[in-house]
Amino acid sequence: MKKVRAFLIVLLAAGALGADWKTAEPGWQYEFPRDHHAHRDFKTEWWYFTGNVFDGEGHRLGYELTFFRQGITPHAERDPNSSRFIVDDLKFAHFALTDVSKQHFRFEQKTSRGAFGEAGFDDGKRLAWIDNWTLASNGDDAFDLMASNQEGVIQLHLRAAKSPVVHGENGISVKASASGHVSHYYSIPRLQTTGEFFVDGKSYPFRGESWFDHEWATGQLAEGQAGWDWICLQWQDGTELMLYQMRLKNGDPDSSSSGTWIDSNGLATHLRSADFRMTPIAFWKSKANGAQYPIGWRITLPGQQTEFVVRAALEDQELALGPITYWEGAIDASGTRDGKAIKGRGYLELTGYAGPLGELSR
Amino acid sequence: MRAQYFRIFRWHVLRHLRRHPLLAILNILSVALGVAVYLATQIANHSANRAFAATVDMVAGKAELQITAPARNLPETVFPMAAAATGISAATPLVRGLVTLPDFPGEYLEVLGIDIFTNAPFRTFDPTDFDAGKFDIQRWLGGPGAIAVTEEFVARHNLKSGDKIRAQVNVIDHELQVGFILRSEGAFDSHFAVMDIGWAQELFGRRGELSAIQLRLTNPHDREKVVRELRKVLPPDAAVAAPAQRTEEVDKMLGGFELNLSAMSLLSLVVGMFLIYNTVSASVARRRREIGILRSLGVTRNEVRALFLGEAIVLGSIGAFFGLAGGLLLARLLVGAVAETISSLYVLVNVKQVALDPWTFVIAWTIGLASVIASAWLPAHAAANMAPVHALHGGTILERSVDPSVAWLWSGLVSILLAAAFSFLALSTGPPWLGFVAAFFVLAGFSFLVPWSTSHFSSGARRFFRAVQRQRGKAAVEAELGAENLSRALLRNSITIAALAAAVAMTVGVSVMVFSFRQTVETWINDTLIADLFIAPASNEIVGPSSFIPPAAVQFLASHPAVETVDTFREMDLPMGEQIAAVAVVRGSERRHFQFLQGNGPEIMRRFQAEPCVLVSETFVRRHRLQDGKSIELITPEGVRKFPIAGIFYDYTRDQGIVFMSARNFIQFWHDDRVNSVAVYLKKTGSGEMLSEAFRQQFSRNGQFVIYSNRSLRTRIFQIFDQTFAVTYVLRTIAVIVAITGIFLSLTILITERSRELAIMRAIGGSAGQIRRLLLWETAMLGALAAVIGVASGLCLSLVLIGVINRAFFGWTIQLAFPWRSLALTPFWIFAAALVAGILPAWRAGWLVLAENLRSE
Repeated sequence: MKKVRAFLIVLLAAGALGADWKTAEPGWQYEFPRDHHAHRDFKTEWWYFTGNVFDGEGHRLGYELTFFRQGITPHAERDPNSSRFIVDDLKFAHFALTDVSKQHFRFEQKTSRGAFGEAGFDDGKRLAWIDNWTLASNGDDAFDLMASNQEGVIQLHLRAAKSPVVHGENGISVKASASGHVSHYYSIPRLQTTGEFFVDGKSYPFRGESWFDHEWATGQLAEGQAGWDWICLQWQDGTELMLYQMRLKNGDPDSSSSGTWIDSNGLATHLRSADFRMTPIAFWKSKANGAQYPIGWRITLPGQQTEFVVRAALEDQELALGPITYWEGAIDASGTRDGKAIKGRGYLELTGYAGPLGELSR
Repeated sequence: MRAQYFRIFRWHVLRHLRRHPLLAILNILSVALGVAVYLATQIANHSANRAFAATVDMVAGKAELQITAPARNLPETVFPMAAAATGISAATPLVRGLVTLPDFPGEYLEVLGIDIFTNAPFRTFDPTDFDAGKFDIQRWLGGPGAIAVTEEFVARHNLKSGDKIRAQVNVIDHELQVGFILRSEGAFDSHFAVMDIGWAQELFGRRGELSAIQLRLTNPHDREKVVRELRKVLPPDAAVAAPAQRTEEVDKMLGGFELNLSAMSLLSLVVGMFLIYNTVSASVARRRREIGILRSLGVTRNEVRALFLGEAIVLGSIGAFFGLAGGLLLARLLVGAVAETISSLYVLVNVKQVALDPWTFVIAWTIGLASVIASAWLPAHAAANMAPVHALHGGTILERSVDPSVAWLWSGLVSILLAAAFSFLALSTGPPWLGFVAAFFVLAGFSFLVPWSTSHFSSGARRFFRAVQRQRGKAAVEAELGAENLSRALLRNSITIAALAAAVAMTVGVSVMVFSFRQTVETWINDTLIADLFIAPASNEIVGPSSFIPPAAVQFLASHPAVETVDTFREMDLPMGEQIAAVAVVRGSERRHFQFLQGNGPEIMRRFQAEPCVLVSETFVRRHRLQDGKSIELITPEGVRKFPIAGIFYDYTRDQGIVFMSARNFIQFWHDDRVNSVAVYLKKTGSGEMLSEAFRQQFSRNGQFVIYSNRSLRTRIFQIFDQTFAVTYVLRTIAVIVAITGIFLSLTILITERSRELAIMRAIGGSAGQIRRLLLWETAMLGALAAVIGVASGLCLSLVLIGVINRAFFGWTIQLAFPWRSLALTPFWIFAAALVAGILPAWRAGWLVLAENLRSE
């Protein structure tokens, strides 16, 4: 019998075990830094950092560091005297590093019960942590990140270059046409990033730009949805773009796909599914599981007179983890806006290609 | 060996066997029975050991080291420190406990609370949803009673996913929800269940505590270093050891018990050996002429020997093979009985699988065959050494009787002296198994006495019958002739008698031992078990002392108007150096009566209550080679502490021995006042029934407690006692069956053997009735002799069993007591059995065809 190697369940599956979880409602008043912290009345939450950085010699690195919280019991229902081993929320984190010049990709997953404080959320300074993987806030608009893999330890210092941008309309981001499948979702679309990579006692400094996503909800994925394609881009002209396309099990895009266009002043424009079109143009097939990922896209935003092509900085950026296997990697984009050439870098996320979400993969 | 040997073998042996199938069958059966009993016992022993080892393996998984705190639970805060110690590559905490299931009477589950986040490198099983391949972690972590059970358990109780079952812990009902199936590559005990460690702590009321921490090492060679590192962060009473050590301890603990069973099982084989000896010598006697012819034709002595040994080997091999098959069948019977005994006396085991080790079979078969060769050796040797001219002498010359010289007598006496010497050695220097050597020499000694006794009995009986004849003027020819015949084929008759006597001796020896044991225990219970009511959590009946009585219940009993006083009792294993000691903590023991080996009882009890000291049982002293006035070192949560031994008392509850400590002392050092059971002493006017009812109303509406009156507890104790000896009774009965088969076999041989002689008697005027009477007289005398010698030998054997084997292995003092009635009856039923066994051969002897049998004359 094959071992169940991991045991995490995908977060977005609907249903909350009868426990009393809050759902995302329109009209949420975002407030920072308050909303950088955990929202433990909601079942699912994540803090997502991605970025492209360069070392002194110009070598490019892409990174992803994500902390997930999946509620088991709402905070209010916890008996404070009960066993410390009883888990209120699942804590897990992913760290991936793409060495573009060496064409090398590494990824890790960490999970912990956190019974002895080795993992948790919100202890004042730290927003989330598992062992030495840490997300700490440093003032109102700066973050310190730390993570490690077999090669070494990475430390990142992020300072917001733009204000947080709330996605969707009226404080909610709609994920499915049926009611209730919504989330609270904001990004800091550009953070100036410095950091070091410590390998064998030596430190390798780097600098670049990061993107921070923070999203929380209860059961936002609907029946019939298979996954999503998500993209974030930081253009050289100081603008940013975020798009996501919910995919149905039959392969069609869901009408609730949407996006946000952020101008160089930080002004956000909400994009509905009719406002953009994403067409896959390049594919990569996973050797691990045979999944076919669309890692190249042609994207048009007719309203913005914008058309561009997105290509992966490295084909294999698949996080083959149990149970959630997905592709998340550094990308380059180039195209035209108003007839002028534009270039940008960012991250692409492709989920639901390697087996259904919401179930334990084996 | 020459090719013609096989031809001769075919002519002389196989043809002979074909002509006398009954003989061959009986021979095969006796070997088969001996081998079967031996094999079955071995399988039962192995299965019990394996079952326990499997339990340990299941819990330990792939752990290389395990931290436990035998006296109590580990504080959970130790875990991060242990996990962070240098040299540790993985660590996982474990909470373990037993629950009983009131909805399924008698059922229990051994629940492991695991940390699914850290135990992946350790576990040998996987919990999955009922739908294999899925695992709903939110349900696993979220539900207070979500539990994974084995498929076998699910099938046994017809459960489906989501079913709720009641589980009792410390007399409180909890609800478990069957949500997961335990899957594993190997099979394991269906009493295992797994749940999340957090909810397990809640279920067992053990917040803040762990049962164990399991560890894997970065480098297994650094074990010693890692243990030293761990010691720095662990509480002093925590034990760090390889999980396999527990298996070794248990193996050692069960060693004595199982060796005794093995020895008992070999006895059937020994009785069987007499039979083989008998048939082979009969076969030699019958074919004396053929031997003479063969020898005259140039067949060598060695070939003659090989001929008879070959015959024995053929029969023995076939018998041993049947024995293997029979042993397998019998094992299924024995396994349950052995496991039950081990569970009630030592550790909880549940034997799910019969352990079949090919070596057990090889050994059983080899032992069977070796016993055959050993018993055939002497007669085969005699055949080889027969002078051809003597052998060729036809006619009615019977086998040359061996002179009943004093050599046999001396051998017997020397054997009995040796038995005494080995007994002394077993007790003084050990090893304990020398006790079995002593037992063997008792049996051998009395067997050697048989020829001498038979010959004297024969001449005595002849004189007696003559005297009777003279006095009454009535002829008792048959009786007189019968008596004479006893000494004519003296050696062979002696063997028959010895075989039967050995079986009788075993029966008598074991009966006296069990009876004495029972009497001793009864006396002891009368003196020590004096409370009126005994109350304990019902689950302790099923799984041992794992549940505690709530303080409110103890308080209720102590303050009830009908109650004069209560004693409380707590039982657990505590670390004592590298060993484990069973410790009982008692409170209010002014009323508890100990029987001390020596010393002033009241003064000992005063010390026991007032000073930091302990009382230890006689078995404990013997096992740990302690002396009065010495002390034992127990590991308390604060470190090692010496407790002087205030007194040594008789105890028959466990062969591992037990230490008694006053509750005052235990609470002072261990800070734990939980109790497993309560003994209630009523006022003269108090009614036990009314108190029981009141208690039941208040605390035991759902049968959470068992309440024993003094009498019902005694009954229960003896139920357990009898169950313990059930296996012994089975083995004893089988040995008796072998022996009676032996009589039947011997008589059949004797008659076949003497058909010519009997035919001559008929020819010279003896009636068929006379022949029958003659044979029955012979049988009766044979039986009587065997019974008398057997009882005598059995009494000696019981001395060895009680005074040597029991003391050396278990350290119990058993007062010798005789079951007079059954002892007095023994000769009668042996006598009757012998007569019954003789009826068929005697009846057949009356129908001898004269012409055929006289042809050679």
